[in-house]
Amino acid sequence: MAVVNPEFLQTLALSGQDAGAECFNCGTCAAICPLVDGHFPRKMIRYAQIGAEQRILENALELWKCLHCGLCTRTCPRGANPGEVILALKRHVVAAWRER
Amino acid sequence: MYAPKDIVELLADNVRKTMSPFGVSKGRVNGWWKGQDLPRDGKALLFTGLMYQFVPYIEATTRQLERFEDTAWAGRLGWARLAPKFLAGLGLDLLASAESKRKAAEHLRDIVKVLRASGADFGYRPELDAYSGILLYDLGDQENFERHARIVAESLQQAGIERIITVDPHTTYALKVLYPKHLGISFAVRTYFEEASLTGDRGGETLVLHDPCFYGRYLELSDAPRRALAGLGYQCADLRESGAFTSCCGGPAESISPRLSAEIGARRVETLGGSGAQIVSMCPICLNNLEKSGANVVDLSSVLARGL
Repeated sequence: MAVVNPEFLQTLALSGQDAGAECFNCGTCAAICPLVDGHFPRKMIRYAQIGAEQRILENALELWKCLHCGLCTRTCPRGANPGEVILALKRHVVAAWRER
Repeated sequence: MYAPKDIVELLADNVRKTMSPFGVSKGRVNGWWKGQDLPRDGKALLFTGLMYQFVPYIEATTRQLERFEDTAWAGRLGWARLAPKFLAGLGLDLLASAESKRKAAEHLRDIVKVLRASGADFGYRPELDAYSGILLYDLGDQENFERHARIVAESLQQAGIERIITVDPHTTYALKVLYPKHLGISFAVRTYFEEASLTGDRGGETLVLHDPCFYGRYLELSDAPRRALAGLGYQCADLRESGAFTSCCGGPAESISPRLSAEIGARRVETLGGSGAQIVSMCPICLNNLEKSGANVVDLSSVLARGL
């Protein structure tokens, strides 16, 4: 069971201006990503949208596979900037490590 | 795959203590300019960001990371932070190949040849040349990126630098986009190939260009190298994954997972190598990763400087 935090997107916005609220989960980002790795980055953005912070921390390893190549951002039909959302999630996780 | 926390903290510690992600001092890394008779002053400052110079150290580090990835030893990487930096840096310097260091220096000397032949008014000051901090930014360590970037940007500001000529996409993006956005410090930044103004007829050879993500997508600079090459009579082959839709070489994953980096590099080489034409890269990270993936690839600087 995952605990959701409705305020998480606002918290994440502190780690970067793009927090993925515009994303409607079409999966273009996952289809175009050179990692060709399951539902990355869509899944992580969905976790962020619903505020499943614990799931993000548990799956943090996946965030660092991101090449920051920007192809997802270039092709996103909603302008949701998935590449920058992943970068914001990395910053959030690094801050969480250092707070421990 | 290595634990991202270990990699992030090791690189951040290295940058904090030595201004270099590899813990190797600038004195050891940056000797390419000696004997080049470069002026210190000019309308613009040539700023390499040390990325070409780091390639031999990236190669040496990646060789070690490849050996231990997904083994029990991988979990002990965090201990590397405990090693004295001068010792770790010296060890890495010994592991870095002399041939690779020679090639990195040659690319930078070729860039100087191109700038001189193009009539660019530039100077070089080795004491101002520094790593931009871009890897910390990419890895999500915003705090240490900003701390390091501020030191670099303020030293340039204090020296009165306003115009900068860059040589690689990572440093260009950092100075052109990230420094103004995150530090509020701006410079007029142009790449060396935007400054290139060469004409000639090199026989119409066809080349395949690999656009780095930062030049092709983030900075939308793909036309500039093509213009520089066209001026010398080269043709550039059409490629679906180019310009704003270029595909990554896999290099950015090298520190976290050399295996993943190699897989992505191999896929990219497949799309680039189809025609058999000479592949040209314009980023030291891409050049290194595509080479490792078996591509017949040369740096843009070598092509532009040919015959100068």
